Amino acid sequence: MIELRNVTKEFGSKRAVDGLDLSVRPGELFAFLGPNGAGKTTTIKMICGLLAPSGGSVRIGGHPASSPEARQLLGYVPDQPYLYDKLSGREFLRFVVEMYGLERRHARSRIDELIDVFEMNDYIDELCENYSQGMKQRVVFASALVHDPKVLVVDEPLVGLDPRSARIVKNLFLTQARAGCAVLMSTHLLAIAEELADTIGIVDHGRMLATGTLGQLRDRLQHQGPLEDLFLKLTGTDGPSLGNEKFAIKQPTTA
Amino acid sequence: MQAEIHGSDSLVRSSPVSDSRAAGALRMLRRDLIRNKLRIALSASRLRAATILFCSLVFWWGLFLLFLGGFQFIGIYLDLANTIVEYLFSMFFLSLLVMLFFSTGIITYTALFHSRESTFLLTTPASADRIFAHKFIEAIAFSSWGFFLLGSPLMVAYGLRVNASAGFYGMFLVYLVSFVLLAGSLGAIAAIAVANIFPKRQKTVLALTIAAILSAIVFLAYQVVRAPGERMSSDWLGTVLGRLAFCQNPLWPSRWMSAGLLASARSHWATAWYYLMILSAHAGLAYLVGAVVARDLYRRGYSRVQGGRSSRRRARVGMFDPFFHRCFFFLPRPIRLLILKDLRTFLRDPAQWSQFLIFFGLLAFYFLNIRRLSYDLQSPYWRNLVSFLNLAVTALLLSTFTSRFIFPLLSLEGRNFWVLGLLPLRREQILWGKFAFSSGISLVATETLVLMSDVMLRMSPLIIGLHVGMVAILCLGLSGISVGLGARLPNLHESDPSKIAAGFGGTLNLLVSLVFIFSIVTALALPCHLYFAGQEHAETARWALSHYQFRFWLIVAISVSVVVGVLGTIIPLRIGIKAFQEMEL
Repeated sequence: MIELRNVTKEFGSKRAVDGLDLSVRPGELFAFLGPNGAGKTTTIKMICGLLAPSGGSVRIGGHPASSPEARQLLGYVPDQPYLYDKLSGREFLRFVVEMYGLERRHARSRIDELIDVFEMNDYIDELCENYSQGMKQRVVFASALVHDPKVLVVDEPLVGLDPRSARIVKNLFLTQARAGCAVLMSTHLLAIAEELADTIGIVDHGRMLATGTLGQLRDRLQHQGPLEDLFLKLTGTDGPSLGNEKFAIKQPTTA
Repeated sequence: MQAEIHGSDSLVRSSPVSDSRAAGALRMLRRDLIRNKLRIALSASRLRAATILFCSLVFWWGLFLLFLGGFQFIGIYLDLANTIVEYLFSMFFLSLLVMLFFSTGIITYTALFHSRESTFLLTTPASADRIFAHKFIEAIAFSSWGFFLLGSPLMVAYGLRVNASAGFYGMFLVYLVSFVLLAGSLGAIAAIAVANIFPKRQKTVLALTIAAILSAIVFLAYQVVRAPGERMSSDWLGTVLGRLAFCQNPLWPSRWMSAGLLASARSHWATAWYYLMILSAHAGLAYLVGAVVARDLYRRGYSRVQGGRSSRRRARVGMFDPFFHRCFFFLPRPIRLLILKDLRTFLRDPAQWSQFLIFFGLLAFYFLNIRRLSYDLQSPYWRNLVSFLNLAVTALLLSTFTSRFIFPLLSLEGRNFWVLGLLPLRREQILWGKFAFSSGISLVATETLVLMSDVMLRMSPLIIGLHVGMVAILCLGLSGISVGLGARLPNLHESDPSKIAAGFGGTLNLLVSLVFIFSIVTALALPCHLYFAGQEHAETARWALSHYQFRFWLIVAISVSVVVGVLGTIIPLRIGIKAFQEMEL
């Protein structure tokens, strides 16, 4: 459903994404991992059609990422979600429904369904400017799902969410994937990737270092430890140094 | 807890989304936003809404009286009256054409390429030209309200002056809409072109273009001022109009506007409709071109602008910091550090200092050319008048600077406000730091300008000393007002300083600053004017001041100005400090 072939993105002399190949099938939950500045958000913006690749191709459901057909298939939750301060959550959802051209007679029940799922009944008719970060995040998730996307792209999904909201979102990812949606989530929370992902891709300096299930990654790296150790090993630092020995993370010794 | 979402079975999607559906969604969005904003304005901010309405009405009425008086004055020149009005209209609309082009272009650029809303809309199925249309309407509304505020009193005054029929007023509205659409569309096309061609150099392009236009204005003003003949005589007017003939070029949209409106005022309906057709057809064409350009180049431009922001500038501390600390050793170190922070932020944003530099530079250019205009050879009365006018213009320019850049300083701390709150400083020290920053920059710039003006006008040391003192009072007062009101009426949700300055707090700050300038300048200018007027014209001796009276009233005026200056500085700062101390971060 998401196909990136030899994708490159250059910002002046800097190459943010360097020959990246990535594929997410329908029903697959793909966790996109990488250190800060690895090129995750740039890749996601290319998938959403916001940035044009300098080389290679990005296709969504067989359509170029910048095409209206691709955007029709896509639900996107950015790391810094946008809501109109002077709209209520319900008005915002109604706007999204109109924008995606949903049949009006089904739209109302769809919105009500999502309001129930995300437990937003208490505040959905207040203006968004009064929402907390977690409330906003729930509305944005609902807006990304309101048109039943075939591809869901989420950048840092759990930022600002309380444990209950985080649980809702995690269940949602699984539900969407099992319903045939291709889900790509970028995250720094390795435990989430470990818990939810069917496939994990680790990217650094714009290049895909490894892709596969957690088991496949362990086999390939011959390392049976937690994902965090695999991640640190792949991205080249066994432990981040803060200039002081006592802060360095020790690599656990493997038998 | 529910986590089950029933999607594909129950949901029917009309695919692909029609453009009219996206247009309908955006219309609905605008309608909901306007309705909610109006509801809030009428329920929670009645005072603010009433103040804005009142100020707009006062401003409109003032302009109307000014234009009416102007048309009556022009009526004195029986032979040239119609020609003068034609030229005035052409120049007026040409200036507005340029201003609308730039303001709509800049607003469209920011709205299309730097707003989070456009990023969101670009991920929806809405087409690029539909998003452009949505943002363009906003930009037009935002940039053209001033045009309506300026243009409508002019047209009403002219209509009343020539006893125009009711049809003139109706047609004038259609003309205004077409004119705004034409200028705005051209500005929007330029904005998309700049994003595509100069994605990293947009500020440089803007600064160079503005500098070029301002140079042209200075050149033109110089040409007009140097026109030979006795001022306001028919010969002189004829020469001046000859030098302004370029504004009558039939290819300028402003010419279509002025010719058409004048024809409709005189009930020459065939000509009026002819020019209206030309103007509206070009406006429609320009918008269509804008939409096509947006369809083909908006997404590409957006990608280029986002990519263009990757160049990382490395900050160098150099020798400036130690130098600054040594020069201002008498200020507490934390305050010096805060000033340095604001100074760095100011210098690293060319959009801020370039405007400051251009306008103050133009004023300096004019002051340096005072002797070429032979103002220094005029009578003491005229030199005194010109020197006070120069000082007033400098103060007005300073008030726009403090309203535009100093007032938003605290608001711009925005989400980082808590950092200031946690600093090991008393909160009032933070405001004093901002006050010192503002006063420092203002004093250096304005004292230099006023000294330049007075020296070029060969003013006496007494008047120079008086002006220097006045400027110091004005700088401290305007800084106090902007810092104090900035702390009292912060807008912590907005990151764009121009929008903060254009909001209620910024507008109030500008109004208070204008009242302050008027009080100080009038108090001191009046005794000087009455004294020098007595020297110039014998017939004014009855109400002019003698030398003794002049000294007495000057001392009174200086005392009043100092008191007003101190109160104008301290009271807003106190209000700001109190609000800042009570603010929950």
